[in-house]
Amino acid sequence: MALAQQVQLQRDPGARSDIARRAAGSPALQLVGRRLLTAIPVLLGVTFLTFVVMNLIPGNPAQLILGINASPAAIAKLDVQLGLNHPFWDRYWLWLDGLLHGNLGTAYSNQQSVNSDIAQYLPTTCWLLLYALVGALVLGVIVAVLSARKPNGIFDRISLAVSMIGLSFAPYALAEVLAWVFAVRVHWFNVIDNNLGGNPFSAIKALTLPAASIGFGLFAVYTRLLRADIVEQMQREDYIVTAKAKGVAPWRVLVVHATKNSLFTLITLVALNLGTLIGAVAIIEPIFSVPGLGAELINAIQINDLPLIEGIVVVFALVTVAGNLIADLLYAVLDPRIRYGSSGS
Amino acid sequence: MNPVISNGSALLEVEDLRVAFASGGREIRAVDGVSYTVEAGSTLAIIGESGSGKTVGCRAIMGLLPEGAAISGSARLRGTELIGLSDTQLRKHRGSDMAMVFQDPARSLNPTMRAGKQITEAIRTHRKVSRGDARDQAIELLRLVRIPAPERRFHEYPHQLSGGMRQRVVIAMALACRPKLLIADEATTALDVTTQAQIMELLLELQRDLDMALIFISHDLGLAASYADEVVVMYAGKIVEQAPAKRLFGTGGTVKMRYTRALLDAIPHLERPAHTDLPVVAGRPPDPSMLPVGCSFAPRCRSAADDCTAKAPALTEHAPGHRWACWHPCENGGPV
Amino acid sequence: MATLTAGAQQPLPSLVSAGRLRSQRIARALRLWVPAGLLILMAFFCFVWPYVYSIPPGDSGSILAAGLPPFSPGHWLGTDPNGVDISSMLIYGGQVSLEISLAVTAIGMLIGGVLGIAAGYFSGWADAVLSRVFDVLIAFPALVLVLAVAEVLHPSELHLIWALSAFSIPAFARVTRGTTLTVRTLPFITAARLTGTSNWKIIFKHVLPNIIPGIVTFSLLGIGIIVILEGAVDFLGLGIQIPQPSLGEMIAKGQTVLTAQPEYILIPSIVLLIFVMALNLLGDALRERWGVR
Repeated sequence: MALAQQVQLQRDPGARSDIARRAAGSPALQLVGRRLLTAIPVLLGVTFLTFVVMNLIPGNPAQLILGINASPAAIAKLDVQLGLNHPFWDRYWLWLDGLLHGNLGTAYSNQQSVNSDIAQYLPTTCWLLLYALVGALVLGVIVAVLSARKPNGIFDRISLAVSMIGLSFAPYALAEVLAWVFAVRVHWFNVIDNNLGGNPFSAIKALTLPAASIGFGLFAVYTRLLRADIVEQMQREDYIVTAKAKGVAPWRVLVVHATKNSLFTLITLVALNLGTLIGAVAIIEPIFSVPGLGAELINAIQINDLPLIEGIVVVFALVTVAGNLIADLLYAVLDPRIRYGSSGS
Repeated sequence: MNPVISNGSALLEVEDLRVAFASGGREIRAVDGVSYTVEAGSTLAIIGESGSGKTVGCRAIMGLLPEGAAISGSARLRGTELIGLSDTQLRKHRGSDMAMVFQDPARSLNPTMRAGKQITEAIRTHRKVSRGDARDQAIELLRLVRIPAPERRFHEYPHQLSGGMRQRVVIAMALACRPKLLIADEATTALDVTTQAQIMELLLELQRDLDMALIFISHDLGLAASYADEVVVMYAGKIVEQAPAKRLFGTGGTVKMRYTRALLDAIPHLERPAHTDLPVVAGRPPDPSMLPVGCSFAPRCRSAADDCTAKAPALTEHAPGHRWACWHPCENGGPV
Repeated sequence: MATLTAGAQQPLPSLVSAGRLRSQRIARALRLWVPAGLLILMAFFCFVWPYVYSIPPGDSGSILAAGLPPFSPGHWLGTDPNGVDISSMLIYGGQVSLEISLAVTAIGMLIGGVLGIAAGYFSGWADAVLSRVFDVLIAFPALVLVLAVAEVLHPSELHLIWALSAFSIPAFARVTRGTTLTVRTLPFITAARLTGTSNWKIIFKHVLPNIIPGIVTFSLLGIGIIVILEGAVDFLGLGIQIPQPSLGEMIAKGQTVLTAQPEYILIPSIVLLIFVMALNLLGDALRERWGVR
């Protein structure tokens, strides 16, 4: 808030409500509010879908756990124990209620609370995701801007070729190839590296190969589309020609004018690819034995631990939805057209 | 070759300007040999349909064409040859000696940058001024283009301004360094008629006050008639008629080239009898990658004869100050 | 009046070099036909070659021929530790992957496409509801969704197709909805509606032809994504089961011998990479030709 407004607030308490009213009318906040509202049914749908998928399929979980040769009595006993004899909707409400209170149930396998299990593995996954995302973004923006400087120039052609490879490389295949090149042939990294406790450096080193496996594909997507957007702006948008007509230097036109406007595309891009990013951990973590949520999910799947699977899947899905929401909000905050609305004249 | 009379005092001398692009494996001839001069302080109107090359020609002079453009010919601004200069060298002239204003002010302004900042950018690119001084100069410019409450507008974003105000901001940006030549590329096309008149009047006033030459590009012959000293009509990349405005329009106007005649006739008049067809020219301009052998207008011209499709007429000065390129020009300004 | 030849204007010589134009044309053609040719070649090897020429089986082999390196006689890419010929594994694995991905893409195009067109064209509450549902499905990280479904349905080719369709149907629906919306606002559609043309006719004659380029280029991209996803499921052992070969499973098995015999991982990885790249390049070239954004 401007100094003048702050001073005014102190002198005149009535002004507070006035500012609140103006804030409520601000188009940006309205947009934020609307987005939040539409996110709720999506979140609800996500939880419902998770539960449906895990619980409406053929096969009895109790039987899955006990094996084919288990006696019906044992199965029935386990059924009651796990609460599986209740009708579907009851079970859903129970689970949802638990979910809303932050309790995701108990894992079958080790009788530990799913919450604590997730809490144990979540931080590692978060660091991995952050590493991959930040790396891909920073590199992506730099390469995109440099490429857009001279479209079809040498740097551009090389970066397009590299990004084409990145787009087409399956993350698990890439992980293996990276492991082979950087851990087996050149001993810069270890394939399985669990030094995540210690100092930040060893943690970064441990997470580099997994982050690169996830991040390379992301980098490819970002750089490709951002470059295309910047080039499009530079070639088609009138305000770019106007800036050039003013005599502004090419670098300034590229960075200050075009790239700034392309940032919106980038935000949308990051949001759209969040699902891919988050899903990729499930397959990359086991390869490098990273003790994260993705590896835990695969473990849970292999031992048919339903509550654990449900819990992790829901967390993944919720984070994706939340990420999309944040991207929407960022968009609203950054675009002056939305922030200030049209005051017209 | 078209002889261009150069008496050395002309502000801008364009001689045999050609621009071509390679696209999809074909050569697109956007501008095919164009020559004209602009005297200091005068107004030239370049009239033509879309695709006639009128915009590309001026952008070539300013150096605003995309990388793949092939340019040949000469364009001398106060004696300095512009064609062939490197971008770094051209940039010294762009925005300072010569400036350009474009069609759609909504798109000409950077939506994420405040209006005032866009003007100060124009100033500080060419002059070493402090931020405060640049701001003062910018507000002065806003006042010059008659924007009300310039101090407030300085801080606003383009979408907060109306169409007419935006165009004024764009003009203010162009005038930041007091250029001697201002090119207005369809500057009023995107505006409503009243605002159009206001902007044109503003441009003329500024022209007088700043002793500036003005080239305005348009498809509107009416504008040319009202505001121009000299008129150039372009079709399919070439000039087809060129004369002082007085010779072409008004009483006893002697429009010679069939195309210009057709353009004039297509303007609706109040005196026309009601319920008659508007004499529109049929067909479309030729594809610039496949220009016909003879006169480019022949396929659409009602008076086309065999010699028209066989050989292209050259632009020649048949009457003092009046050039046209037509084998069978109109007589006495009569109908086609 | 001057004579005919005097005052005539000769056409000016070409400003752009003919060589440059020619190389532009050649480059454009290459960008389209090289990836297309590669894909046709791969399809040929997967579906025609095994029936024309006898190749070793892809799911069994003799221990005597175990662990042969590439360029061995009779096994030009070598054999795996069980004696199974690697090139046969690629071919048969490729068959299955292609079948699955084409099936999933077809399902996505048909079901997702119809839903998307309906949502985009008719709007209203149908659109609102459908969009919400698709948002939910897309909000799920794709891999997790597929894994979850694959886990609960026992692994088999058919179940895998259903699982992957859970991802492709909403993806196609979203794309077709988007393009339909864009096309629907075009003036000639409004004109058609004003003249009383039935909605069905408009959709078939006007909307469909205009969204097909977008759908086709998206499908090419989609096939690549599906193949990678399917490979991921196989990689984790939750998809196609041994002894039937698959690229994902080959890569997974190769992990154990990464140090000694990297070719078990490198060969299927590179083949997969080339396949998806060819799809993407073809999609790019078609987008360039058809002017899709």
